[in-house]
This record gives sequence, structure tokens and C-alpha cells, in this order.
Amino acid sequence: MSRQGNRAGDPRKVNGELFTLTYGALVAQLIKDYENDEQVNKQLDKMGYNMGVRLIEDYLARANTGRCNDFRETADVIAKVAFKMYLGLTPVVSNWSAAGDEFSLLLESNPLTEFVELPPGHSNLNYSNIMCGILRGALEMVQMDVDVRFVQDTLKGDNITEIRLKFIKRLEDAVPVGED
Amino acid sequence: MTIFNFYLFDRHGTCLYYAEWNRKKQLTMSKEEEFKLMYGMIFSIKSFASRLSPTDMKEGFLNFTTSKYKLHFFETPSGLKFIMNTDLSVGNMKDVLHQIFSSLYVEYVVKNPLCELDQPVTSELFKTKLDEYIRGLPQFPIKATS
Amino acid sequence: MADEALFEFLHMEMVAHVHRSSAKDEKDQCISTLEALGFRVGQSLIERFTRECSRFKDELDTMKFLCKDFWSSVYKKQIDNLRTNHQGVYVLQDNKFKFLVQMSTGKQYMECAPQYLAFPCGMIRGALSNLGVNCIVTAEVSAMPACKFQIQIQRT
Repeated sequence: MSRQGNRAGDPRKVNGELFTLTYGALVAQLIKDYENDEQVNKQLDKMGYNMGVRLIEDYLARANTGRCNDFRETADVIAKVAFKMYLGLTPVVSNWSAAGDEFSLLLESNPLTEFVELPPGHSNLNYSNIMCGILRGALEMVQMDVDVRFVQDTLKGDNITEIRLKFIKRLEDAVPVGED
Repeated sequence: MTIFNFYLFDRHGTCLYYAEWNRKKQLTMSKEEEFKLMYGMIFSIKSFASRLSPTDMKEGFLNFTTSKYKLHFFETPSGLKFIMNTDLSVGNMKDVLHQIFSSLYVEYVVKNPLCELDQPVTSELFKTKLDEYIRGLPQFPIKATS
Repeated sequence: MADEALFEFLHMEMVAHVHRSSAKDEKDQCISTLEALGFRVGQSLIERFTRECSRFKDELDTMKFLCKDFWSSVYKKQIDNLRTNHQGVYVLQDNKFKFLVQMSTGKQYMECAPQYLAFPCGMIRGALSNLGVNCIVTAEVSAMPACKFQIQIQRT
């Protein structure tokens, strides 16, 4: 008769795979649609940005943390709360610049690349570039203009995956009409 | 106790949503003018408060009371401003405003791809859910007149 | 282990991207692109699902698996109603379909619903194709957030 139990296993695990596989299918489609890796990187960043501006609201609603006091606190919150919440991992915050306006997130494993091997001839592809866009979009919504990019990637043979975040400027609320 | 009205502004000063319940007196000015005034007032009070107390701004300003009404304010770190006017007998509404953000705005606007985040909310579902939520609050009078 | 909200936002953005990058009157093209993406995902997902379980007894057993296990892993709920005419047509009804539930409980946005159902249709087709069932999958919405997926088995 009918089978007992959920043969699909741990649903959270399946969801992780669903995301990873969907992302993989998307990147494959973009590689087909665009002429070169730079354009694919750009699209991924743009799509990530659009996701980030929505994701931040979901994050703020769930994490219920207040505004960060400085960039160091922001770095900590991204690594320990946000990455943990959405990807189930905690990157290491490191390589701070002397001015304290730049740091790196070091990832030992990357769920986005779990089943992935970079096809030959795509050495300039930043496969996980959507992450940069998500971070950029999310941070912009909390008034921080930040430059985000990959500097190391295990997919390309590096020992670790490193995302670099550089603070550019603070964005201000709109001033009402007729005031300044 | 009663709730008069509700405003939601984004960080650009756009009024994303407005609703009213037990608001008896109608204004002579247009809604657009009223939104501009409201955003301007909130903006001024915020900067006034931050100048008075530049070090402790985690919470910011929460509410103020006049002889006729009480204004409640909640702002997310993303600059969404939730504003509600009630009568004087209503206590702290911070949790209510937070709930509108986390359970209604995020669920029915942010997670609805057909709602643009910088445009006024057009979702009927959000409108219905908010109305249900407000009418179900203990601060909303049992015998609704509107 | 990605959070489910991440998948939802990714799907939303995928739909938006496909529409942005195609000409205005190419709605059908968008639908088929999304359907093809879903097909690939459904195919690879089912491999991970069924690695360790025995073969299905018959077609109906496969459908039941789809309605229960597959659906609850992907959408966090089971299909509410499964019907068949016993001639190769199955209708799966989800009364609160995940991608529609935050949009509307009536007619609003109805004209946009198909673009959010193309990827799920493709996933069903991909999953079934990997289980040896060739089919055509279409979706129909009469009142959101309920949705009917119709599976037509192709026997050739």
C-alpha cells in the first residue's frame, strides 16, 4: 500500500538543493544567452541586487536587529546572522583595511557551487556573483553604498572563497520638498 | 480607545500606503498635501530628536501626544516609516507597527513580485489583511462606527 | 542549506529577468524559457530524491509520490486533491499554491499568474520524465491562490 514516511528525506536539505540546482540552471541559461563571462557576471550582479533589496526587508523582519553603529558591527552581523539565516553557514570576517572601511568574508564552503564544475573556457566567470549583488542591494537599503566583489574562488582553484566589501559612503534619507 | 489612521512612507518620502478608520473630520487639503506635511513633520522631529540626543539613537523617537491625538512612529533600518494616529488612551503601539511591517508588509508586498517596492501599494490582499488586523486589535473599539 | 525565502526571491527574480530580456510580445517565449529551466531543475532534483528508494509500482503510485513527498519538500505542503480519468490525465489541485499565496485571494493579478506557474510546470515535467513518464503539464487558475496542474501522459 502507500509508503510510510517521507522518502524525500530532510526537507531543509532538499530546499538547499532546490536553491542550488535552480541557481545552476539559471547560470547555465545566462551563459547561453550572453556573449561573454563579463556580461554574465553583470547580469548575476544585477539580479542579486534586485533580490537584495527585497531580501533585506525579510531579514530585518526576522532578525529584528537595530541599525548598526559602524561598519565593523555590520560585518559581524552579515557573517554571523545573515549568512547563518539564509545559507546556514558563518563566514570568517578578516583582512580589515587599516582605515576600517574594507573587509573580507572568507567561506570555506559555498552552497551555491555544491554540484558545480566550471566549464572550460569560462575562466572569467564569477559563478556565485549573485551573492555580491544581494549584499550590495541589501546594504544600499540600509543606507550603505558598498562595493562587493569576489577576490578568490574555490571554483577557480583557490584554497578559499573570499568576498571583499568596501564601504564607499553613507546614503541619506530624502529631504522633504521645500526644506534642506 | 480608537485608531484614526495609518501612513506608510518609504525613505524617499513616497507615501506607499494610507488608510483611515475612525477619522471623523475630513480635511480641506488634498491627500497628497497631507502626506507631504506628514513626511515633513516626521523628518523634522527625527532630526530634532537626533540633535538633542546624538548618542542614543537606537530607538529614535517613538510617539508624541497632543491634546487631541497621539502619533506613534516606527522606522525600520531600511527607512520604512510606519505612522499611526490614535486617541490619547492608547498605550505603546511599537509592537503593533512592527507586526504590520514583519507579518503584513514583508509577506504581502515584499514577497509579492507584482508590487514595486518604491511605488504605492496596490495589492488588495495587503489592504484586506491590514484592515482585518487593525479591526481585530484591542485598541480598536468594539462598536466600530466607520 | 539555503533558506526557503532565498529560493522564493530567486524564482521571482528569474521570472523578472526572463521578461526584461525579451521583447514585449514574446510572452510565450518567456513561458517556455521558464518551463525549460524548471524542467532541468525537476530532473536533477528527482535524482537526489529517489536515489535510495524502490521503483514505483505504477503510474498512480508515481503521481502520489509527486503529490505528497515531492510537493511537500518543494512547497512545504501536499497537493490538496488528485484526480484522474484513468486514461492518462491527472489533475493536481493545490488550494494555496506557494507562489500565488502572497499575491492575491481573488481576481487581482490573475493575468500575471501564468508566468509564475511556468517554472513549477517544468519542474513537474522534469521530475516525471526522469521517472520514465513523458507528459505535457499545464496550469490553470480560476481563483488565486488555488491552482490546478494538469498532467497529460504521452504514450508513444
